[in-house]
Amino acid sequence: MENKAWNLEDFVDSLVVELDKTRETLSIKAINKPLTYTVKDMAMDLNIFPTFDGDQVKFITAQPGQQGASKVTIQLGSITDQQVRATTKPLQKDDVSISEIEVDKDTQKELRKMGVNSIDDLEQIENKNVNIEKATGAKINYNNILNQLKKVKRNNNPPVVKSVSLSLFDDQSPYLSIKGNNLGVNKLFKPVAVLNDSLAEVTEHNSNEIKIKLSKQHNIESNNDLVLTLDPYAIVKLNVKV
Amino acid sequence: MDEAFIPFSALLAKIAAFEGEIYDKEEGVHSYINRFEIETPIEIDVYRDEDGKIQLGVVPPLYRVDTTIEPSYHNIRFSAEISET
Repeated sequence: MENKAWNLEDFVDSLVVELDKTRETLSIKAINKPLTYTVKDMAMDLNIFPTFDGDQVKFITAQPGQQGASKVTIQLGSITDQQVRATTKPLQKDDVSISEIEVDKDTQKELRKMGVNSIDDLEQIENKNVNIEKATGAKINYNNILNQLKKVKRNNNPPVVKSVSLSLFDDQSPYLSIKGNNLGVNKLFKPVAVLNDSLAEVTEHNSNEIKIKLSKQHNIESNNDLVLTLDPYAIVKLNVKV
Repeated sequence: MDEAFIPFSALLAKIAAFEGEIYDKEEGVHSYINRFEIETPIEIDVYRDEDGKIQLGVVPPLYRVDTTIEPSYHNIRFSAEISET
């Protein structure tokens, strides 16, 4: 018999699976036998030798005749579904997991070590003005990651233009109304419009509509090129026919 | 897994598979064990299956006499309660 080295996460995972199997077996038995027991709490004292390969701490259980092992106690208690829900933060619908972006495994590992699994986690740290690099000593290009995450988040909610129409403000000056979905969604960024190579003023913007004020300098003709930068991650190019 | 070992879940299920009813025929009284706690030394075989997942094989002490090479005994404690069905 030769024991294999394992890391704690794998070991606990398999322990939990084994415990679940036990509970399932006993619950099946409970259907016909009213006096059946359910395992509530379990603890395990292991004699192990830890090893560190420069990256991961692994353990190997002591084998017969081996002396001087360390002891690790793993205790598994029972908690209710309600407690699990209260202590687990599921990924929100529009949130983005760090596994969806192109960062190297070391960076992902560093982030996970800090409890950062998604863009929301990273934004919460940003809101508290924490400098991850200085606080942890980890070499992480924090802004680059945040930008990538925001890009993925935006890609998941791309802008959709449904209609473009010409209207008049109350003062009878003309404007272009762009209607659609997910247009001006970034509260920190005002959309920028360039019409026929000339900057145009965005007077109103929200998720469903953007109003662009027109003037003589835009040289409105039958075919017009409109470039709309909604935020750093979404640019829309339109050919507007009048 | 070494053939002397069984999966960890099987050991727990086997230990918890006793009839916890004590019946006194003369008095006509039934008593029940509501909860029990067991602590036992075990030998553990940690191995990886074909999918690379860690699996645990366990066995209670095989020998009750001194052996030249002493087994490494780990320890488990667990409690179980009557399940409400």
